[in-house]
Amino acid sequence: MMRVVALCFLLLATVLGFLHLDSHPAWAPFQIQELVSADPESSHNSKAGVVQPKSDWLPDTGAASVHAASLITLKDGALRAFWFAGSREGAADVVINSAVFDPHTNTWGEPTVVIDRMTAEKSLGRYIAKLGNPVPARAADGQLQLFFVTVSIGGWAGSSISTMSSADEGLTWSKPQRLITSPFTNLSTLVKTPAISFTDSRLGLPAYHEWIGKFGELLRIDGDQVIDKRRMSSGRSAIQPLVLIDGPEKAHAYFRQTRGGSQVHQIPVSETQNAGQSWQAQADLPIANPNAAITGVLLPSGLRVLVANDLESGRDRLVMLAQDHSAAQWQIIDVLEDDEALAPEQRREFSYPYIVANGAQVDLVYTWDRKKIRHIRFDAGWIQQAYSNAQAKSANSEEAK
Amino acid sequence: MKNIMQTIALLEMSITCAALIVWAIQRNFEAQIPVAARMILALLLANLFYWPLGMFMQLPLAAYIRGVTGDLSVVTLLLLWSSVLLDRVDPRNTEAHFVPIGFKVSIVVIAFGFYPFALGVGMFDPYGWGYASIGFLMVVSIFAAILAIANWTKGALIIALAILAWSIHWHESANLWDYLLDPFLMIWALFACIGAIRRKRRERLQSGFLFRAG
Repeated sequence: MMRVVALCFLLLATVLGFLHLDSHPAWAPFQIQELVSADPESSHNSKAGVVQPKSDWLPDTGAASVHAASLITLKDGALRAFWFAGSREGAADVVINSAVFDPHTNTWGEPTVVIDRMTAEKSLGRYIAKLGNPVPARAADGQLQLFFVTVSIGGWAGSSISTMSSADEGLTWSKPQRLITSPFTNLSTLVKTPAISFTDSRLGLPAYHEWIGKFGELLRIDGDQVIDKRRMSSGRSAIQPLVLIDGPEKAHAYFRQTRGGSQVHQIPVSETQNAGQSWQAQADLPIANPNAAITGVLLPSGLRVLVANDLESGRDRLVMLAQDHSAAQWQIIDVLEDDEALAPEQRREFSYPYIVANGAQVDLVYTWDRKKIRHIRFDAGWIQQAYSNAQAKSANSEEAK
Repeated sequence: MKNIMQTIALLEMSITCAALIVWAIQRNFEAQIPVAARMILALLLANLFYWPLGMFMQLPLAAYIRGVTGDLSVVTLLLLWSSVLLDRVDPRNTEAHFVPIGFKVSIVVIAFGFYPFALGVGMFDPYGWGYASIGFLMVVSIFAAILAIANWTKGALIIALAILAWSIHWHESANLWDYLLDPFLMIWALFACIGAIRRKRRERLQSGFLFRAG
């Protein structure tokens, strides 16, 4: 009799399971931005009209250590930055700060605390030892959504991702929710790079693991839940996937390499042809990477822009590179920081770049010697022109050879 | 709803910690505590884990443990609670705790096949099945039906409850695997299998002495 009852109950549970699966959304293509063809001639001709990059600093919170800044454009065209700050990376006093950049006055507002460790642990119902890596995104309902990393035990390899949302462009935030992304006590999933959108308005969040394996994954996010995920790389060699979308079904992911000393220290690449459902490893980008974060963006002109430490080791040089869809090679278009000429003990660290584009404006932030966050505002036309100049210079040197 | 989910998760962890202490008491003192007394003891202990104790601790004890372990699978919770708090068998008699060896072996085999791939070996990720695979749900249901047919109805009911919990999004996870399996279930099943093998070997050795030709 009990057996019949158990089987009937199992049947009921299975039917409910099927109904639950039936409501699961199908995988959707990538949302792509409209490209505006850039005429190199016109960019040459309008040299005088091109705005030069402007540099400033994110507001000082008095914290000894700051790191992992990120950006998002607000609905009114302003820019909101997030970063973590505390006595040192991973300390219990680390908080996630935010500030707004007013494009009209070109100034940053007062920094605010978005979340601290105590608030996070009370809302998440579990002990939290440290916070890090805030990454903002625009959710389907128009709200701001912030993803960040928390650690309960151990180092960053023990991280999990949490998320919270804001209906007022970041002035107030909901209670954070935990994303479950790993079957082994939800250990070791981190986020660093910008989210992408699918045509069904759901988010694709590039995440990575750095415990047993060091690999990238694309998390499909619906509100505050992971509803699917796909592996972007495998093994122990590539983290922090940066996704640049080529078309509704096609995209490339560029990684921070974490390979052993004897292996090639270049930027690993994966490619998808089915909107992120499966990824295949490609040849590395021939750009040196010292196990350091990279960032990038696709401009409306179709120009791909990367910011990276183009060194085999160390983070004391940061450059901006670009590649046109028709060109095979990446060109260095601007050296943002370079301490290579200094003695090793005098060199500073320039790391964790994060770039966003909003129409003709391109904004970059990065950690400056772990003490400050530098912000540089570029004009897309200036980048296009710098790329054309770099290409012409490269062609001339090729001819000279 | 999200607040209720956190409350439920902390309650579950508190009951689990209480059940483990009750189990340890029974094992250490080699005493079989009556079911009602076990329930009352578990209730008292669960309160100790659920409410913040103050002093230097801002959170309940259960929240600190949950920070390390995450949420346990529904299968682990129900197996542990039912075995420790409801079973009327003598806790000293491990043979009497009827969880079929076939189930334990299955857990070990599945976990050893699952975790390496789910944690990054190669591009194949079986954890992804847990989000929206009809095939995976079918396999789990058939596995539970086999348990019922093999006369372990408790196992079938536990898996059915795990599927039910997943379909109503009982925990934070939207992945069926998280309702069925966790590393602690794997470790328990592994030690239980090793224990069973050693017991069998000991019995074989003893029977060998008895029937050895003189």
